[in-house]
Amino acid sequence: MPYVRPLVSYGYLGTVLVFIYLPILIMMAMGFNQSSSYELPFHFDLVWYEHLSANEVLWRAGRNSVLLALASSAVSSVIGTMAALAFARYRLRGQVVLQLLLFPPMAMPWLILATAMLIFFYYSGIGRGLHAMLLAHVALSLPYVIIVVGARLRSFGQDLEEAAATLGADPWQTFFRVTLPMIAPGVAAAALFAFGISFDQFVTSYFLSPPGVSTLPVEIYASIRKGFTPEINAISTIIIIVSMLLLAVVSRFYRFGGTQ
Amino acid sequence: MSSVNICQVSKRYGEVVALDHVSLTFGEREFFGLLGPSGSGKTTLLRSIAGFVEPTSGQILMEGTDISRVPTYKRNVGMVFQNYALFPHMTVYDNVAFPLSVRRVNETEIRKRVSEILELVQLSGYDKRRPRELSGGQQQRIALARALVSRPRVLLLDEPLGALDKNLRQRMQIELRQIQREVGITTVLVTHDQEEALTLSDRIAVFRKGEVVQMGSPDEVYERPRNAFAAEFFGATNFLKGRAAGTQGKAGVVALDGGEKVLTLDPLPEDGQAVTITVRPEKFAISAASGAAVGSDEAINNLPGEVLQPVYMGASVTYRVSVAGTELTVFQQNREAQRFQTSDKVNISWRACHSIALDQS
Amino acid sequence: MVDQHLRLDSDSKPGRLRAVKLKREWVGYGLTVPAYIWLCITVILPMIMMLYFSFLSRMPMGTAEPVLGLKQYATFFEKDFYRFLTWRSLLLGVHVTVLCGLIGYPAALVLARVVKGRWREAILLLIVLPFWSNALIRTFAWTMVLRTDGIVDQALHFLLPGAPSMGILYSYPAIVIGLTHSFLPYMILTCYISLQTIDDSLIEAGQALGASNITVFRRIILPLSLPGLMVGVILTFVPVVGAFMEPRILGGRQGFMLGTVIEDQFTEVFNWPLGAALSFMLLAIVMLIFLAAYPLLRNRLKVA
Repeated sequence: MPYVRPLVSYGYLGTVLVFIYLPILIMMAMGFNQSSSYELPFHFDLVWYEHLSANEVLWRAGRNSVLLALASSAVSSVIGTMAALAFARYRLRGQVVLQLLLFPPMAMPWLILATAMLIFFYYSGIGRGLHAMLLAHVALSLPYVIIVVGARLRSFGQDLEEAAATLGADPWQTFFRVTLPMIAPGVAAAALFAFGISFDQFVTSYFLSPPGVSTLPVEIYASIRKGFTPEINAISTIIIIVSMLLLAVVSRFYRFGGTQ
Repeated sequence: MSSVNICQVSKRYGEVVALDHVSLTFGEREFFGLLGPSGSGKTTLLRSIAGFVEPTSGQILMEGTDISRVPTYKRNVGMVFQNYALFPHMTVYDNVAFPLSVRRVNETEIRKRVSEILELVQLSGYDKRRPRELSGGQQQRIALARALVSRPRVLLLDEPLGALDKNLRQRMQIELRQIQREVGITTVLVTHDQEEALTLSDRIAVFRKGEVVQMGSPDEVYERPRNAFAAEFFGATNFLKGRAAGTQGKAGVVALDGGEKVLTLDPLPEDGQAVTITVRPEKFAISAASGAAVGSDEAINNLPGEVLQPVYMGASVTYRVSVAGTELTVFQQNREAQRFQTSDKVNISWRACHSIALDQS
Repeated sequence: MVDQHLRLDSDSKPGRLRAVKLKREWVGYGLTVPAYIWLCITVILPMIMMLYFSFLSRMPMGTAEPVLGLKQYATFFEKDFYRFLTWRSLLLGVHVTVLCGLIGYPAALVLARVVKGRWREAILLLIVLPFWSNALIRTFAWTMVLRTDGIVDQALHFLLPGAPSMGILYSYPAIVIGLTHSFLPYMILTCYISLQTIDDSLIEAGQALGASNITVFRRIILPLSLPGLMVGVILTFVPVVGAFMEPRILGGRQGFMLGTVIEDQFTEVFNWPLGAALSFMLLAIVMLIFLAAYPLLRNRLKVA
């Protein structure tokens, strides 16, 4: 649009970007500052990362987070892809209703879901713990998996599968030799996405973690409430770099902006 | 090699009738065209033969066996889709080899057959390419090769040339026909392009609203349309409406509303009944009005008219002429030195055998 | 010339296709079964149980048996505190959403219509990345910035030694800033998507028909991008109303919202029935908002 001078436009966009990234960068910088109470001037030091490597609790929580994210990603990719296939390739009665049922995890405040799960798991014997968190994380990432894989399925229609059938491939052959390779990028993107959602998940993990078992975000929250040291900055820096890298990779497979 | 029988096939989607008791036979080695506007049922029929649509009633027989209940992948039909449906994640070789590899043919045999078929479509050496690297015409030929390599019983073509530009399309039409003749396979083509149907087909079935309106050789269907729809579908045509009015020699007479007489060699209903005569634009001869009264005789029709508009089209000139109270379209091959202008008085004449009396349907 | 093993299966009985068709439908449903079992266990059954809990008069432990009734809901409607709480949370939603819209829409506008080519996707990615990363950590980052002796404060004192403290951590504005920062990328994304789909030729047509640039914006661009803006508004408002982490971390004693009070019922007070009832009230509010906006959302959800 020619009316707003480019300089003003770019300047505004730049300011917004600064607003978005400044706190993150400051937080990351403070992890490298020697001062334990965040005082300037800035002395570069890796002391907090050293503290981090000795912090048993955080290591355990980190391991839990990673394992949980891997499991959650695997499970939700599989069952999400199955559901996406069903919606895109089969005419199901009541499909709209079924699809609508998938939206609560996406649209409702996660607080409500987490508390409901807490109540149900407690009284149904499932209890709290990593297994409960797995249940929760998969539930939260399912809608996203279904949407991502579904979009991929819709992008190439049924033509290829019909062609394969005319060429003599039975349904299994068609699935493994045509459908699966075609949706592979979508499934990969969805899997990474699900990993990210689980890894960063706080709300459900918070409510479903029993004493002694927690994930990284829950530990960080506890530390923040208690009064924190730059060790938290160090671990936070690592986490945020990991999750942003993950999402940068996802974006190569799946366009967020809808541009194809 | 094989023939396909369509026996009283109907397909209903709820209230909508897509196919209404269609019966056709495709002979061995025959190139059969299914022609009609969109929604007329031709594609539904093709997809029924392929197995994607299950007929509500009726049977589809291949070589005498009812295949209506056989799943697609067991029918051994070759199909070329409108957008080719080449597998983007496979090379050309893998695409063409696909039907053989799913049938577990051995490697050596596959290699041999693939190179044979690629040679047939003149794309030898393109093995390692990917579909996206090919031009539209090349993709089309690969799709054809892939459909033919497993030696299917029948070849189904779903508007395969629709995506190509005019020149390419005409070249591909010729190639397609050549390949079909060489392979000798029964072929069914779906198209809405009447020129394409006329060019390629041994026989044509004209579809309208789920029914076959007329079937026959291109010559038959074009020169002797059975009704107004079939006539109009093959391009501009002219209609003269009147009533049966006896005979003149061997010809039947149709009296137009304005009193003019038109002669036809087709059988006419009883005197007084309404009749519509259709004449193809290229059957007219246009000449300057001579002043002397010229009437229609046994062999030739003659009517006076006035040019409304000439349209120069390069190889021909199209005239809109006002004759006997209606507008006629006249094609004149661009061979005469004389060309007419608006408001010129002219004489339109044509042979009585070119007056076609239509069914009133 | 037809290969032997390519001959048709002439033994196929007429009943087979019906069986094949039936099988196909069952396969379709079968594929969705794992997902829905999962949803049952994690969403449907829990919600039902929570609903049941919301009607209990007390926690079911110890000797006194709880009674089914509307006690918890009555508490919500009678006590002023809860009305105030709801009002406060809704207000927070409004503040954050308005700020996100005011800041985010122009940014999306610039991105969609001024920035060209590969820069566009790159910058969009840059903007969206933080949104999908860890919200907790981003909130934590704001504590660095906003506390007394935080960066802003220190920098200010460095420049103007006599200035009063700029530490606004543990206050309502801090919560607003934190939440706005959290949801801004998402707002920009949704606005961008709908702005981006506006065909250039529409704008050109408007200009050719004599509309000034302001008019083009007001009468062509704005109306066409409104659905995207609305989606962003709703999908920001809803989570904000239910937020508890940001208010806790950034608000301190000022940080009490419907979300934090609900959290308290489950982690501090152990009055699960009350927590359940409050959750459902929150849910009811969310539902009302969705119902009001359903016509708009319906199209966008299909696009997603």
